Amino acid sequence: MADEVVVHAQDVWKVYGSGEAQVAALKGISVDIRRGEMVAIMGPSGCGKTTLLNCFSGLDDITKGVVTLEGVDIHRMSDGKKSNYRAMRTGFVFQSYNLLPVLDAVENVEMPLLISGVAAKEARARATQILQEMELGDRLHHRPSELSGGQQQRVSLARALVTRPAIVWADEPTGNLDAAGSQQVTELLRSLNRQYRQSIVVVTHDPEVALSCDRTLRMRDGKFDS
Amino acid sequence: MADAFVVALILVVGGAGAITALLALLHRLSFRIAYRNVKRGRWRTVLLILGLLVGTTIVASSLVIGDTVNSVNVHFTYQSIGYTTEAIYDQSLNRGYLGFNYSIYTALAARSSGDPQIAGIAPEIVGTVAAFDRSTGLPQSGLNLIGVNANQSRQLGPFVADDGTHLAGPGPAQLYLDDQAASDLGAHVGDPVLLFGASSAPAIVAAIVQDDTRGGFLFGGNAFVDLAVAQQIENLSGQVNFLAVTNAGALAETSQLTGPVSATLNDSLKAIGAPSGLSVHQWLQDNLATAESAGSSLSTLFLVLGLFSIVAGGMLIVGIFVMLAEERKGEMGMLRAIGLKRRELVLIFYFEGFLYSAGSALAGTVLGVGVGYGLVYAFSIFFATSQVSGAAILDSFTVTSASLVVAYVVGFLLTLATVAIASGRASRLNIVRAIRNVPEPPPQLRVYTFLAALGAGLAAVGALLYWRTYAGTTDLSEPLVAGGLLILGVALVGARFVANRIVFTAAGLALLIWTGVPALHHLLLGSGHGGMIFAFFVEGVWMVLGAILVYIFNADLVVAGVTRSLGSRPAGVSVARIGLSYPSRRPFRTAINLAIFSMVVFTIVGVASFGSSIQANVDQLVESQSGGYTFFGVSQSPIPELPGLVANNSTLAPLFADVVPLLFGSGEVQFPGAPSGYQDNVLSAPTGVPTSQNFYDTNAYNFSSTLNGWTTSEVWSELQGHPEYAVVDGAYASGGFANFGGHHPTLTVGTKVALSNTDTHAISNLTVIGLLSESTINGIWVNPTTARGLGYENETAFLLRTTAGTDPTVAAQRAKIAFFAEGLLLFDFATILKTSIQSTEAIVSLLEIYVTLGLAVGIAAIGIVALRAVVERRGEIGMLRAEGFTQRMILKVFLLEYSYVALLGIGIGTSLAILLTYNAAQNSGGFLTFSVPVANVAVIVLAAYALTIAAVIGPSIKAARLPPAEAVRYSE
Repeated sequence: MADEVVVHAQDVWKVYGSGEAQVAALKGISVDIRRGEMVAIMGPSGCGKTTLLNCFSGLDDITKGVVTLEGVDIHRMSDGKKSNYRAMRTGFVFQSYNLLPVLDAVENVEMPLLISGVAAKEARARATQILQEMELGDRLHHRPSELSGGQQQRVSLARALVTRPAIVWADEPTGNLDAAGSQQVTELLRSLNRQYRQSIVVVTHDPEVALSCDRTLRMRDGKFDS
Repeated sequence: MADAFVVALILVVGGAGAITALLALLHRLSFRIAYRNVKRGRWRTVLLILGLLVGTTIVASSLVIGDTVNSVNVHFTYQSIGYTTEAIYDQSLNRGYLGFNYSIYTALAARSSGDPQIAGIAPEIVGTVAAFDRSTGLPQSGLNLIGVNANQSRQLGPFVADDGTHLAGPGPAQLYLDDQAASDLGAHVGDPVLLFGASSAPAIVAAIVQDDTRGGFLFGGNAFVDLAVAQQIENLSGQVNFLAVTNAGALAETSQLTGPVSATLNDSLKAIGAPSGLSVHQWLQDNLATAESAGSSLSTLFLVLGLFSIVAGGMLIVGIFVMLAEERKGEMGMLRAIGLKRRELVLIFYFEGFLYSAGSALAGTVLGVGVGYGLVYAFSIFFATSQVSGAAILDSFTVTSASLVVAYVVGFLLTLATVAIASGRASRLNIVRAIRNVPEPPPQLRVYTFLAALGAGLAAVGALLYWRTYAGTTDLSEPLVAGGLLILGVALVGARFVANRIVFTAAGLALLIWTGVPALHHLLLGSGHGGMIFAFFVEGVWMVLGAILVYIFNADLVVAGVTRSLGSRPAGVSVARIGLSYPSRRPFRTAINLAIFSMVVFTIVGVASFGSSIQANVDQLVESQSGGYTFFGVSQSPIPELPGLVANNSTLAPLFADVVPLLFGSGEVQFPGAPSGYQDNVLSAPTGVPTSQNFYDTNAYNFSSTLNGWTTSEVWSELQGHPEYAVVDGAYASGGFANFGGHHPTLTVGTKVALSNTDTHAISNLTVIGLLSESTINGIWVNPTTARGLGYENETAFLLRTTAGTDPTVAAQRAKIAFFAEGLLLFDFATILKTSIQSTEAIVSLLEIYVTLGLAVGIAAIGIVALRAVVERRGEIGMLRAEGFTQRMILKVFLLEYSYVALLGIGIGTSLAILLTYNAAQNSGGFLTFSVPVANVAVIVLAAYALTIAAVIGPSIKAARLPPAEAVRYSE
């Protein structure tokens, strides 16, 4: 079970534009990520890290190749099924948090549960619990504008993890944080990964984050370094 | 029917509400987010509601005006017609009411006596008399003579004296005058008065009665006498010429029985062998319908002019939602990333829009009622008359529940439909680009292919509509719409293959030419189309769209030119370059704001210029419409040799320079395109008379069009010499002044018309050789040989010119006294035209105030954009501050940007409105003299600009004061 491949990518290409203006952002990427594995993807700016994350997670289409998540080809799903899959089986963390400013912390966190069809009462309880685990129990009803950057990113993390997803995709989760906040989020990611055995794919520039991962994949010019 | 419509509307809104409530229950998360979004920014919500409610306000206020005018008219109709629900008379010979034997009345009354639906039938004599008050020495022609038995007051209601006492009716040798007639004669109770009709009769004024349900019969100016006296005056011994039928029930309910009562009475008339021309006329019902139609016409006029603001409001909604979508792009991307489906995003916008729509429609309806009251108040000042006082108009302020429901529902659905469309557009996004806030790439080829297909469809619809309407309608708006659709459709197809700048600039210019060059309409559409009020709306929309297309696709060139013109100081150049670059960077947003501003200003300046052109035309109008004469006169009985009688009268001779007698009567005009049985006046001036009587040599009428390019004098000369020729008044001309309803048949010179006298049944086939510019005296002018051949033998109309320095009022008074026995009435051209222009001016003034409401849309639009811009550009502002921009420079950047958009919109709207007014004046057939109210336009431009600055100054200051460090760090 522990060795089960959760993310399988085979010869994945992503090409932007057409004709002479074509730019290949991903050039035949192949990789497997196992359940419970925390993988860092590093590389210089423009090497295709975020494109890889978007294509693997199903947020963006691929030009060629296959990406399966838990054995299902994500790019053969309809938009509705893809949305359902994202709601139930994956979580996302972004550099700019992307919390809804009109909802408070607990409402932001319970949102993926409600989208997945979890009853409102249970959703509220689970959202409250995970925020308390992240030491935000006293910030449940604060709106994003009333939270610090680190606190916002922890709320964002809670939102990504509250559905107990199989895979968490994190794009520069510490990019907007100071050193202390960065360390706190990294530790949190690692401890949750260990606690819930979720696969986590982190795109990062931060060596400290990479160090805390099981594996680091380095990218250059749309390919993994060999 | 109306009730069913209202119920249907309520059901539609109720249904929409129920479906939305159900959706909200099923998608609580989406509803929660939408609800929170509504509460997000109070100032913005206020601006949103302000922008959204304008449409509803306009609909509501125009309906309130319609309700009130309808109420005034209905009130006036009841006052004027009273208890005469149906009238039985014979007007088959077009010579007033024909007399019939009194026994017909007695037979009909006997047959109807047991009918529970009929309260009574009153035999009457109704005619026209001249009266002379011997005490005051004042004459008055054209009074209504009403002879009825005093005992009929039980059926028709009592007369009410000015002191409030109720009177049964005049006895033998007694005369009741209503307020209007008493005022005309200066009469008092006890005055001896001579009444002149077919014969004369003396009477004593026994009472002056109020213009209410009885005294105001036939819309006033009444002389009531005993039936026997009236029979004597009209030479109708043993006869009556009018039966007033009163249905059972209260006054307001009597017309409901009109259908069955009319059928019964018509059957009875046949049964008793009444003359074939004698029939039942549904008087009250027909007059009520006319009254309601007048209210509805005015309501339509206000509504159509308000359409510009409604369209601007619609664009504002689209603009707002596109902007909201931009603002929330990141949030929406995130929501999609964590599994929210696209339809749920649509629902978030839809719920938000629903809440705005419901709220703004309610506020708009309430505000619309307030605006309506304001307009009715203005009406009560401008339009009060002796019969309908200002207080009575204000008392008639009416808001029907149907209007409230219609206004709310129309406003609500209009907003909701726009919101629904905008929501669909807003929710289409690429998740990755949304989350990372990456700009959308330029449209791909498949987008252009889709647009080309859409364009082909539009062009096909336009071509079909053009083909169906170009020669088959009198309404210019339809082929105008068709041409516009065709141009836009072709442009969209062209954009698939040719550069956008070329295609859309060409399309914009084509739209401007299509709507801005009336000669093109005449060339392509022929002369069968009149300028209707809807055409003004269509022209306005196409013109504004055309101008904006030309600007948007060439904005870079304009901005470069403007930047260069703003000087060469480095700081100034920096501010100009940045301030002017923003509108070009967001072309869609800029286009929406420009369109809103242009359209609103277009309407305001258009209405103001139109009013000014009417005002500027007064003297010229009097000159062109009067033909240089002072009076048009008509007499009840022919006055042969009037010129000689005037010349030999020592009082009149010094007052009148020219007296032209005219053979005058009514005829039926037939030609291809004219409605069957079109009635018009027939006029003919005798030839071979002295200069002072010679119409052909002394009139100053002009022609808008003549056969063979003949000069004015040649046309009159040809008419004198050829019995087969005719000349018609300006109402027959095409492409003239927009009339607000009703169609006058139009023709061109060279048209063959058949003119028949309905009395003699003689027919003449004539060729129209001239279209007069004037249309105050309606009719067809023919050679005197033709007129006599058709049976128009009597000189009962006259054109009179006073000598220099003569007061027209004095001249008219003296002539009326001299010829009051013949019932001579003189109409002073200048007074008639100035009075009619005064009411038009008053309506135009009200319209000016009314359309200014639309400015709220423009202000709201630019205010919302400014609020958004401050948030959107925080990072850029921070960078500019870091690079050395002062707070003052940032403020200048913002103010320059909004000033540019506002002034550009104001400039486009103003210039297009002036162009359209110029075109209208050129094609008005002399009704308008092109004039731009420079002071008014300056006030409008300054007010619009000042309000814009007031709306953006707050956000601009906020932007200027942003701490640079905070601004640089900021991300949405």
